[in-house]
Amino acid sequence: MKTIAAFMLALTVICVPLYAQWLKVPSAVPLGPDGKPNLTAPAPRTSDDHADLSGIWEPISPKYLRNLAADLKPEDVPYQPWAKALVDARADGSHAREESDANCLPQGIPKIAAAPAPWKIVQTPGLIVVVHEAFNLWRQIFMDGRQLAEKVNPSWLGYSSGKWDGDTLVVDTRGFNGKTWLDQAGKPTTEALHVIERYRRKNFGSLEIQITIDDPKAYTKPWTVTEEMRLMASGELYEFICNENNRDLDHLPGEAFK
Amino acid sequence: MRHAFRALGFSLLLVAIPAWAHHSFAAQYDSTKPVKLTGKVTKVEWTNPHIYFYIDVTDEKTGKVANWALEMGGPNALMRLGWSRDSMKPNDIVTVEATLAKDGSKLANVRTVVLASTGKTLLAGSSEGTIP
Repeated sequence: MKTIAAFMLALTVICVPLYAQWLKVPSAVPLGPDGKPNLTAPAPRTSDDHADLSGIWEPISPKYLRNLAADLKPEDVPYQPWAKALVDARADGSHAREESDANCLPQGIPKIAAAPAPWKIVQTPGLIVVVHEAFNLWRQIFMDGRQLAEKVNPSWLGYSSGKWDGDTLVVDTRGFNGKTWLDQAGKPTTEALHVIERYRRKNFGSLEIQITIDDPKAYTKPWTVTEEMRLMASGELYEFICNENNRDLDHLPGEAFK
Repeated sequence: MRHAFRALGFSLLLVAIPAWAHHSFAAQYDSTKPVKLTGKVTKVEWTNPHIYFYIDVTDEKTGKVANWALEMGGPNALMRLGWSRDSMKPNDIVTVEATLAKDGSKLANVRTVVLASTGKTLLAGSSEGTIP
């Protein structure tokens, strides 16, 4: 399995797009003794001696997009009774039309990172920006110590602040609108959602995100999963305007998005 | 490079390069209903969130022509698989391997496209191949 994973990683490196928008792009990927990109090289560091998470990342599989709790036993997701009933009703796909992203509306956190469109971390000492190819969305993670007000306008992607725990970036996000699903299986969120993400760059080519879902209105206690991302070692983000031609909605079962 | 692609096989490529689906694949398509269609391209919508193209398929028995809608990944996913918007044009003859829509409409989600003029197989960025 490891061999296959390494092979696929190598494959993505050699798969240079034939339709690249940019030419003469310098690569940040270190080379091994054989002169080839070495994605298992140590993770880089910034000049102010923090882990450098910069780069374009993508999920290694759409597993967590389909089911955020893919690595848990079903009974380990601590649903409130209404949330369990809703997930059971959504299980057969009969409500797929009611998912925000099927309507070209934002995926929410953490689903946006698990969707297989790459995203870029731009890291500065006081601010980390995540640029998502998915629907041309962005997140700001404030690293300057600011605190979120008690009452904020509910939002799709929330309000994020971060701090370093050693080489792990810990991001707190609150202030959601409760309109997004955690995954395509339909795990609900409410305005009480609080997401804690712990980003750890394990080596040059891989980033682990431990995600804790803390939404007491939908789940009886916080629950945690870990997702794996890989560096997109060549290529760039492209524009992605979802509402250009969304024909799928007419073929998806369910009610209109509310 | 292309020889290497062929040697690796498509299943691996589909796994290696996840394609974008902004909605549930399983809700829209029936993975137990694969279909192979050959026809003439009548229109290509090289647009987000998914590329749609349309082909006229002639029924061999009745001679009746039906226009099918075929969905692929988005332009970004397809560019990363080596496509450009000129890779397939109206009037091209293509054979596609696809999965039928659940709602019974003449719609399918495409896995591969073979251009009759070159015999070249193009991956279509279907999100089906990545189902764990």
